[in-house]
Amino acid sequence: MPKGEEKALNEKTIQENALSSRDYKYGFYTDIEVDRIPKGLNEETIRLISTKKHEPEWMYEWRLKAFRHWKTLTEPHWANFEYGPIDYQALSYYTAPKSKKGGPIGNIDTTDPELIKTFEKLGIPLSEQKRLTGVAVDAVFDSVSVGTTHQAELAKVGVIFCSMTEAIEQHPELVKKYMGSVVPYSDNFFAALNAAVFSDGSFCYIPKGVKCPLELSTYFRINAAESGQFERTLIVAEEGSYVSYLEGCTAPMRDENQLHAAVVELVALDNAEIKYSTVQNWYSGDKAGKGGIYNFVTKRGKCAGKNSKISWTQVEAGSAITWKYPSVILQGDNSVGKFYSVALTNNRMQADTGTKMIHIGKNTKSTVVSKGISTDESNNSYRGMIKIMPSAEGARNFSQCDSMLIGNKCSANTFPYIEVKNNSAVLEHEASTSKINADQIFYLQSRGLDLEGAISLIINGFCKDVFKELPMEFAVEAVKLLEMKLEGSVG
Amino acid sequence: MLTISTKEKEKTSPLITAVQKYTVELTKSSAASWSSQLRQKSLNNFLTLGVPTIKNEDWKYTNLSALSSINFKPIAQGKFSFQADVKRLIKADEITLVFVNGLLEENLSNLGAMPKGLSLLSLKKALAERQTEIENLLKKYEGVFEPAFISLNRALASDGAFIHIADKTHVEKVIHIIHVTQTAEPALTTPATYIFLGKSAEATVLETHVGYADSVYLAAPLTEVSLGQNAVLHYCKAQSESLKAYHVGNTRVWQERDSHFDGFALMNGGDITRNDLDIISNGEGTSSTMNGFYGVNGKQFVDNHSSMDHRQPNCTSNQLYKGILNGSSNASFNGKIFVRQIAQKTNSYQLNKNLVLGADCKVNTKPQLEIFADDVKCTHGATIGQMNEEEIFYLQSRCISKKTAIKLLAHGFVGDIITKIHNPSIQDKLNILLEPTFAALE
Repeated sequence: MPKGEEKALNEKTIQENALSSRDYKYGFYTDIEVDRIPKGLNEETIRLISTKKHEPEWMYEWRLKAFRHWKTLTEPHWANFEYGPIDYQALSYYTAPKSKKGGPIGNIDTTDPELIKTFEKLGIPLSEQKRLTGVAVDAVFDSVSVGTTHQAELAKVGVIFCSMTEAIEQHPELVKKYMGSVVPYSDNFFAALNAAVFSDGSFCYIPKGVKCPLELSTYFRINAAESGQFERTLIVAEEGSYVSYLEGCTAPMRDENQLHAAVVELVALDNAEIKYSTVQNWYSGDKAGKGGIYNFVTKRGKCAGKNSKISWTQVEAGSAITWKYPSVILQGDNSVGKFYSVALTNNRMQADTGTKMIHIGKNTKSTVVSKGISTDESNNSYRGMIKIMPSAEGARNFSQCDSMLIGNKCSANTFPYIEVKNNSAVLEHEASTSKINADQIFYLQSRGLDLEGAISLIINGFCKDVFKELPMEFAVEAVKLLEMKLEGSVG
Repeated sequence: MLTISTKEKEKTSPLITAVQKYTVELTKSSAASWSSQLRQKSLNNFLTLGVPTIKNEDWKYTNLSALSSINFKPIAQGKFSFQADVKRLIKADEITLVFVNGLLEENLSNLGAMPKGLSLLSLKKALAERQTEIENLLKKYEGVFEPAFISLNRALASDGAFIHIADKTHVEKVIHIIHVTQTAEPALTTPATYIFLGKSAEATVLETHVGYADSVYLAAPLTEVSLGQNAVLHYCKAQSESLKAYHVGNTRVWQERDSHFDGFALMNGGDITRNDLDIISNGEGTSSTMNGFYGVNGKQFVDNHSSMDHRQPNCTSNQLYKGILNGSSNASFNGKIFVRQIAQKTNSYQLNKNLVLGADCKVNTKPQLEIFADDVKCTHGATIGQMNEEEIFYLQSRCISKKTAIKLLAHGFVGDIITKIHNPSIQDKLNILLEPTFAALE
C-alpha cells in the first residue's frame, strides 16, 4: 500500500476523535463469547490462571508467593480520595475471548473478527492491510493479548515484542531475570495482587545497540463486566539501545466500578533510553460519579546503567480513581529521569498521581513537570517525592507542578516530598494553583474566538510542556481528548 | 478514672507518668475550678494521643522516641548562671518579662509604667481573673484537632504571660518575654503566652527562649494569639535553647477581619526542635506573614511546621523560611496552605530555601497546597543548594579569605530575611542570638 494512503487513514482516525460527541465514545461493549473462570480469589484461582496460560512451574510458584504475601497486606487508604470497599472475591480474574477458529489466542489470523472490529472501532487496526505504519501494536482484550503486529519486522533487528504469555513461553530466561526486579511482588498491596493474578501484558526486549525502528505500543481494553484487568508490562533496553513505547486504554461504560491493577517495569542498562508514553482514558463514571474504573497502577523504571535515560509522559484523562506514581530509580551514574504529566479530572473523578525520583548514582538528573486541571466536582492531587541518597553526588532536580481550577466545586492539592541526604545536591521545586486568567480569555474572545475555543487554547498552552514530549500522533489525540473532556465543564 | 488508650509502652514511659503526676498535683488544691477542669481535659487528650511517633504523617521526620526514656523531674526553682548573656537581650526602654525556670524573675523584668490600654498579667492571675477571654478563644477552636503538645502545655502550664491590648490602642514599646531554663536534672518546662489584641489595636511582641548550655529539658511552650478586627501584631519567636534540650513549641493564631499577623520564627538552639505555627484566617481581608530562619549545626535537628487555613475570601498570606545547615544537622520544613471553598481571591505565597553546607546534612521539605476554591492564586516553591562557587571566587579575588567569604555570603542569606522584621531592636536581638550560628561556620 502506498504510504500516503496509510497516512490518510491515520488522519481520519484523529478526525473521528475530534468530531465525536462529548460523551465517552469508547463506552460500547463487544458481545463476544468468552472463556472466564469463576469469581473469587484463592490459591485455586491462581493455579487455574497459571494452567490456562500453560505456565512453567517457577511462574506458578512466584504467583503463589505473591498471593501469600498479598494476604498479609491491607488495602492502602492514604491517598487523597475516597472509594467504596472493593470486594476482591466478587471479581473474575481471568476473562478471555474465545477463539472462533479454534486456533490459539494471540494470533491475529485466528482471532474472532468481532474482536478485530472492536479494535478497529477504537482506532487500532490490527489486520495486515490496515495497520498503522511505524507503530507496532500489542492489543490486550480483558485478560489476554489478542495479537501483536509487526513482529517479524522487529525480529529482523532482534527486538522482541510480544505478549507476556508468549515471553514466559519463549524467553523464560529474560523474564526470570527481570520480572520483579524493579517492582517486587512485595512492593505494595496492588503490586502483590497483580503479581499473583496477572494475566497478560507486553514484553519488550531491545538488544544491545539497537534503536528500535518502530514505536511500540499496547492498547488495553476492558470489556467484560465483573472482572478486573491485571496486566504486567516489562521493557528491557540493553546497552546503548533506544525504544519509544506508547500505551492507551479504554473500557465500556458501566454502573459498577471495575478494578485495574497493572504493573509496569522498565530496565535501562548503560547508555540506553526508554521513552514511555501513556494516554489513559478508562471510563471515568457518569456525572453523579457512578461507575468507572479504579485505576491502581504501579509503574517504575530503573536506570540501572551509566548514562541511561527513562522518561515517563502521561496524559491521565479517565478513571474514576487514579492512583499512579510512575517512578525512576536513578542508580547508574549520570542517569536521567523525566516525568511529564497532564492529569485532567472532571465530573467526580479523583486523581492522586505524581512521581518518585530516587537519586542513587552520581550526577543524576531528574525533571518533573506536572500539570493538573480539575473541573466540576473532581479532586486532583499531585503527590511526588524527590529523594537524594547520600551516594548521589552532584544530583540535580527540577520540579514544577501547576494546577488549574475550573469551577468552584473542584479541588487541587499538591503534596511534594523532598528528602535530601547529600549536600552537593541542587533542587528546585515550584508549584502554583490558579484559575484560568480572565484577561487571557477576554483577549482571545476579542479576537473572535468563542469561550470554549479560548479556554481550549489556554489549556493547550498550559499543557504544552507535556504535550511536546508525546509522539506526534499521540499529542494530537491528547489535545483532542482534553478538549472533549472539557466541553460542557466550562462556561 | 482517666481513660487511657495509648499503647502499653507509652503508658509506662516516664514522660507520660510525669505529665500525669504533675497535672494531678496542679489540680489538687482546686479540683472544681475552671482551670483545673481545663487541665484535666487537656491531660485526657494528651494521654489519648500519646507522644507522636514517626508513623504519624505529621511527625514523619521528627523522631521523639528519645523523650520516652528520659526521667523528667520537677524543675528546680531559682537561680541561673548566665545573667550577662540574658542582660544583653534586655533594653531599658522595653517592657520585659523574664521567667527563670517558669517563675517570673522580678529583678530582671522591667514592668514599670505600663502604657494605657495594655494589661500584662501573669498566667496564674489571668487564669483566675480573665477566664472568659481565654474560654472564649478556646471555644473558637472547638472541632479543630488539638495536637498532643498543646494539650500537654495546657495541662501543665503554671505560669507565663497574658497580654491584652484594648481596642484602638497602639503599644509602641516592644513587649519582650524571655524564658530562661537552667537545670541540673532533666526537666519539663511548659510556658504559656496568651496575646489578645482588640479591634484596631497594634503591638510588637518578642518571645525568646534561651537555656544554659548543658541543661537537658523538654520545653513545650504554647502561644495563643487572638487578633480582633483590624488589629496588627508583630510577633517574633526566637528559640536558642540549650544544645541538649528538646523544644516542641506551638503557636496558634486566630485572625478576625482585616487583621494583620506579621510573624517571624528564629530557631537555632535545641538538640531536637519542632515548631508549629497554625494560623486560622477567620475574616475577610486578613493578611498573614510567616517568615522564619533556622540555623543548625552539629547533630541538631529542626522541624518547622506551619499551617495556613484560609477560611474567608480576599485574604493574603506570605511565607518565606530560610535555613542554613552545617555539620551533620538535619532540617525539615512542612508548610500547608488550605484554601476553603468559600475563600475566593486568596493570594498565597510560600517559599523555603535551604543552604546546605555540611557534608552529612539532611533536608526534608514538603510545601503543601490544598485548594478548594477556584479563583485563587497560590504558589509555593522550595530550593536546596550550596554556596555559589563563583560568588566565593569573586570575593577571594578581592583578597577576602574563603572563610570570611562564606561567612559574608551566609550573612547576606540570613540578612535578607532578618531585615524584613518590622522592629530594628528585634533585629538586633536576633543577631545576638545568631552569633553562635555564624561562629560555627568557621
